[in-house]
Amino acid sequence: MKNIITILAVAAMFVSCGSTASFTTLADKYPGMYEEQPVSIVIMPPINQTNHAEAKDYFYTTLYTPLCEKGYYVYSPYLTMELFQQESAYDSELFIEGDLSKFREVLGADAAMFTVIKDWRRNNIGGALTVDIQYLLRSTKTGQTLYSREGTITVDTSINTGAGGWIGMLADMAATAVSTAATDKVVAGRRCNVYVLSDLPAGKYSGLFGKDQKKAAGKEHVTATVR
Amino acid sequence: MMRKILLLSVLAFIAFSTTSCVSTNQLYSWYNYEDVVYTYNKKPSDKQLAKVIEQYRTVIEKQHGTRATVPPGLYAEYGFLLCKTGKKEEGIRYMKQEIALYPESEIYISRIIKQLEK
Repeated sequence: MKNIITILAVAAMFVSCGSTASFTTLADKYPGMYEEQPVSIVIMPPINQTNHAEAKDYFYTTLYTPLCEKGYYVYSPYLTMELFQQESAYDSELFIEGDLSKFREVLGADAAMFTVIKDWRRNNIGGALTVDIQYLLRSTKTGQTLYSREGTITVDTSINTGAGGWIGMLADMAATAVSTAATDKVVAGRRCNVYVLSDLPAGKYSGLFGKDQKKAAGKEHVTATVR
Repeated sequence: MMRKILLLSVLAFIAFSTTSCVSTNQLYSWYNYEDVVYTYNKKPSDKQLAKVIEQYRTVIEKQHGTRATVPPGLYAEYGFLLCKTGKKEEGIRYMKQEIALYPESEIYISRIIKQLEK
């Protein structure tokens, strides 16, 4: 019994982060990030390709804290939103392939983070919410794409139905960490950010800045189901 | 004895599973920033305003992250909110603090300050 528990605990340690069976390093995959070393990022209003009109609004502000935690200076989306609306720049479609020098001029931003919401749908039977979002970080200086990754994340919302034991306990802990004020729609976007941005090289304010070139890069399209 | 081992294993597992992926070395302390600010911007009300101001004050005053300083954009956001709710002078003071802490914000924030001072 004791052995089984030990084996389980050790196994749990190894599987908990998922494997990244790839030998491509971050420096190989995202050379532009290391060449240009952007300091400041402006979050562009998401491009919504789904019929779920509110997805853009739900998702827009969720990128702010994870990008700050990566070590970047991030312009507050609550402030830039007003600017974009005043300047009729709320539709990022106009800029995703276009000239970004204006954002350098007006904001001083080194890079612009575009997101394309490709899917945002609820499966009513299973109680799951699936989001598919593409992320694209472009330089305002050279226009080159510095980082590009996509995530398909399914949030299983049917968890708190008496799973019991420690599984239920962990799930409840996670659910409690996410405040009750947030809808699960916001949560899905946040989870997707965590997965997709995990490969983004660290910025100036992170302790890992300039030290993560040799880290193994994950898949270009991340797929996961989270509870 | 057996129960003790079991309990310890479960505790160890929980500790591993909560620390191994989510880094505990956060750069900043956010508290409930995301939810409170999102809710306020979605449905602004006096009650929510009080909550949001309290939240900004907490994030500004109590930083336990590895950088031990206010996150990017926070002073600016709080300052802008103060300006919009009638405390222009105090608000502009916070916006200037943003520039002092993060010089890369100067182009944008000084533009906002100029607009507010008009």
